[in-house]
Amino acid sequence: MKVLAAGILSLLLVLHWKHGAGSPLPITPDNATCTTRHPCPSNLMTQIRNQLLQLNSSASALFIAYYTAQGEPFPSNVDKLCGPNVTDFPTFHADGTEKDKLVDLYRIIAYLGASLGNITRDQKALNPKDQNLHSKLSSTADTMRGLLSNVLCRLCNKYHVSHVDVSYGPDTSGKDVFQKKKLGCQLLGKYKQVIAELVQAF
Amino acid sequence: MALFAALQTTFLLVLLPLGTYQRKVLSEPRPLTPESLEVSINSTCQCLHLQWSIHSLPHHQELQMIFQIQISRITTSSVVWVGNYSTTVKENQILQWSWESELPLECATHFVRIRSVMDDARFPKPRSWSKWSSWEEVDAQDSLGHNALFVFPKDKLVEEGSSVTFCYVSRSNLNNVSCYLDGEQIHGEQLTPNVSTFHLSHVRYKRTTGTNIYCEMKQGRKLAGTVLYVSKVLEEPKNFSCETQDLKTLKCTWDPGSDTALTIQPSSNYTLFESFSQKKKVCEDRNWCSWQVTQDSQEMYNFTLMTENYLRKRSVNLVFKLTHRVRPMTPLNFILENINSRNATVTWKVRPIGNSTFQCQVELHHDGQVIQQNNVFIKVNGKYLLSEMEPDTHYLARVRCAYGNHFWKWSEWIDQKFTTLEAAPSVAPDVWRNVRSLPGGYDVTLFWKPLSKSHANGEILFYNIAVESLDKSSKFNLSIPAPHNDTKLTLNKYSYQIHVTANNSMGTSPASVIVIPGEPGHKEIEEERVKGTENRFSLSWEPQSRDAIGYVVEWCDHPQDPLCGLQWQKLGPNTTSTVISSDAFEQGVRYNFRIYEISPGWIASLLEKKTGYSQELPPSDNPQVTTSSLTSHSFTLNWKDYSTESQPGFIRGYNVYLKSKMEQCTSGFERITPSDDSAGCRHKIDNPEQKTFHVENLEPASSYEFFVTAYTSAGDGPNGTFTKVTTPDEYTRMLTHIVVPVILCILLITVLFYFQIQWMKEKCYPDIPDPYKSSVLSLIKSKENTHLTIMNLKDCIPDAIEVVNKPEGSRTQPLGTGKPLTETELTKPATYLYLLPTQENPSGSGPCICFENFTYNQAASDLGSSGHVPVPPSTPPSQLGLLYSPENLLKALEKYYTNSLGEIPAGETHLNYVSQLASPMPGDKDSLPTDPPVQAQCSEYKMQMAVPLGPASSPPSEDTSLSSTAILDQGEHYC
Repeated sequence: MKVLAAGILSLLLVLHWKHGAGSPLPITPDNATCTTRHPCPSNLMTQIRNQLLQLNSSASALFIAYYTAQGEPFPSNVDKLCGPNVTDFPTFHADGTEKDKLVDLYRIIAYLGASLGNITRDQKALNPKDQNLHSKLSSTADTMRGLLSNVLCRLCNKYHVSHVDVSYGPDTSGKDVFQKKKLGCQLLGKYKQVIAELVQAF
Repeated sequence: MALFAALQTTFLLVLLPLGTYQRKVLSEPRPLTPESLEVSINSTCQCLHLQWSIHSLPHHQELQMIFQIQISRITTSSVVWVGNYSTTVKENQILQWSWESELPLECATHFVRIRSVMDDARFPKPRSWSKWSSWEEVDAQDSLGHNALFVFPKDKLVEEGSSVTFCYVSRSNLNNVSCYLDGEQIHGEQLTPNVSTFHLSHVRYKRTTGTNIYCEMKQGRKLAGTVLYVSKVLEEPKNFSCETQDLKTLKCTWDPGSDTALTIQPSSNYTLFESFSQKKKVCEDRNWCSWQVTQDSQEMYNFTLMTENYLRKRSVNLVFKLTHRVRPMTPLNFILENINSRNATVTWKVRPIGNSTFQCQVELHHDGQVIQQNNVFIKVNGKYLLSEMEPDTHYLARVRCAYGNHFWKWSEWIDQKFTTLEAAPSVAPDVWRNVRSLPGGYDVTLFWKPLSKSHANGEILFYNIAVESLDKSSKFNLSIPAPHNDTKLTLNKYSYQIHVTANNSMGTSPASVIVIPGEPGHKEIEEERVKGTENRFSLSWEPQSRDAIGYVVEWCDHPQDPLCGLQWQKLGPNTTSTVISSDAFEQGVRYNFRIYEISPGWIASLLEKKTGYSQELPPSDNPQVTTSSLTSHSFTLNWKDYSTESQPGFIRGYNVYLKSKMEQCTSGFERITPSDDSAGCRHKIDNPEQKTFHVENLEPASSYEFFVTAYTSAGDGPNGTFTKVTTPDEYTRMLTHIVVPVILCILLITVLFYFQIQWMKEKCYPDIPDPYKSSVLSLIKSKENTHLTIMNLKDCIPDAIEVVNKPEGSRTQPLGTGKPLTETELTKPATYLYLLPTQENPSGSGPCICFENFTYNQAASDLGSSGHVPVPPSTPPSQLGLLYSPENLLKALEKYYTNSLGEIPAGETHLNYVSQLASPMPGDKDSLPTDPPVQAQCSEYKMQMAVPLGPASSPPSEDTSLSSTAILDQGEHYC
């Protein structure tokens, strides 16, 4: 358990490379200074949109690869086992300002990134030979990492926001195998649904 | 007193320990009831964990106690397990014990109670049980949460072949829940109103990722599941063995068996434990492990190989002395030296192990077989001479060594391939010849067989042919490069001695000698048949001369090919039989063998000829049979063209099959057993040269079917179609034989009679009597006047021609004086052409069919006139037109009447017709003609008269006119 928790912590640190990452952060006051470790590109919003499109285009395939790898009853009971019933999933306000939407996006991607890390870890243990699933999970996590970085750049550069409160999904390390499979499936179902909404919003 | 005191003291001394004993044994304490019983659940192992304590242990001692534990399920009354647990109990010790439940503990409430009894020898028996503790209830369902459906146990890991029980806990009606294993529904039994269990027996391993077991509620979209992992059974390591190559490191190996790894269970690990040194090493691999030998001269080792997974532990033990497990390293520096055609030397080295010697094994291989094996003992350097090898031969030499002090195992082999050097061929080539006589000489084809590898001693480069004349001193040599194995020589009619040698890089073989005599004998030798078996022929022969130096059997492997594939076998002088075998022999092929005797002068003379089949086959084709001499009772069958030599077996004869509707076979035939409807009668001909057969004793007007097939020892030829023959009717034949001659006779007689009637008619009652032929004239001549003659018309000169026109209606009237027209036609059905144009008919166009005026004709013929030409009746009408032109006419005349023309006097060839005129009144028969005469339309005929041209155009004399008139009166004819 300690090892797993440390793994998640490391993942979160990677996702939030800024100082103080890993804990819920308040939104930085407007007058606070904001710096990033790397220079941010100029076409940030375009890159954010493209990354969202890329995630959206691969979400369905990832979802299918996941529930197929879990074996019956997952492929034939997707609605029962993989419904997007994820508690505490960050909300997204599509009618908000760009800053609000970027903050929401940041929270969602952070949540999804952490959950994807759990899923990747679980599936490497449960289906170690399914390279197709592993590559899709890895590719999605990479894109999410880049998206998160760009969103943070945008928030920092334009809106001077360097700290955003984020929340994470449940840790699956203590769950039984069937529950791990089910939670992962639900998360990916939710991801598939929400990424489509995000694409529409941006 | 003193004695009493002493006795008292002694008694007290005796009683004191006894009292102590009595205090120890007899003072049995009250039974001790276990207290503070706590029961908890370990879901991972599905165990109930109990802990309790015993208070108030007597005398604060350690006591051996037995605890009896009772476990109930659902209710306290339904006890599912009772067992004893024996242990030593100390004062205030917390005792622990676990019980693994087959049923998942979450599936039902469990109750536990415990009691104890002292099991210590210090307390007398019988010992009584304490009171039961109070029931301790354990209910895992209390902590399940609020889900509607649960499946237990979670992530169950079992061994293959074991049994496992699952259950589901539902918050609603159980009837709505269905459970599945790997997609297939499983059925369980209800345990409580909201719990059902499923028992799976002898589960099988399927995959490392486990199998989902899930239950779903048909209402409410609820689905819960768990994963069952079935592990293969961890096997005990097999073939556990340890050995060293240098007395420094031990290598232990074993066969681990099946891998029990699952996604929730890693592969079983292996650990080596040495008991003498108490050292342990976790092995990195599943099937081997190295062990560093200590430098403290430890000789004995006692290894325990242990392995375990989540479900089982296994171990094996091995005790050995280190020096008894030495397997040297592979020898090195293995070198072959001084290789020649027969010998070679091998050298090698071994890595020394102390001062020990090594036993080494040297092997020589050829074609994958060990041909030499020798053991040598060495210290470090080894050397061995390999001998008795064949020249130009590939070999493999190898060596391995073992520890000399104590043999354990051979080292790995080290090997090297090499080839011995060549040597001169050791034997003469096997030579044979084929001699074909030519005018003035011979064509001699020499054949030789390639030397075997063991005789060639290297690569044969060429063959040397030395030809020496025995009759005159001439000699020449030929060199035939290998791999040719024949050559052709054209020699004069002398005796020649031929030497053939094979040559390689190292020298020449002994010579093979063969002599071609100048005058070969022409001995007629009868061919003898031999019978082969499968692919061999047994041949034997009678020696002719006692000084023969050998025999040669010659044959062709492929006698049907032009090249024939000449083969021969040379045999010693004392051999009079041999077996010729060849894989090329085929069934159904005739092979001819010639046996030659070799004289001391190496001259081969033909001794015997044999022929035969390795296996005879039925004839490949049937004779083509023709029938002849068909009568009502017989016919003859012929198959002269059938070749008996080209068949796949010796033709032994022929079978003639005959089928008819009669039940009985004709004589000479036998009824064959009917195998089908085609069965009939058979006649067997035993002589293959008899190629005709007369079938007789047949019924007239009957149908017969025959079929002729040749047969060999293997049977009849192929099935063929029967040929149908129908014998003629006897009466028809008789009629043919009798009626036809009769009809011919009648016809002959009729013809004769016809000519006889003509003759008689002419003789006796001609239509126009010929005065010259009249017998009256001869009578008159003979009796009255010899000068009386008949007037010759030629002598008369006509002076007038009277043309008499008769009315058309009177044409039928004159018939009374002559014959009716039809009768005339029947009597002499001649047709005449309108041959020559008249002046009135200058055009002369159109053929005209005329009736002969017999009167004129007779007269004209008598006069030798040919003014009109009779056309034979056979002349087709188409020729008429051709005859119409003068040229054609002349040709026709020349063709048909050359003789008659020859008889015509020269002066009378200009006769012409003056009549052939007719009145054109075809439709008015009764009216007289009033118009001038026109071209005759052949509707009627006028009187005809031959009128000489030229001088004859002068008015005829009256006599002539009279005479003519007289004639006309007698011969009125119409056309």
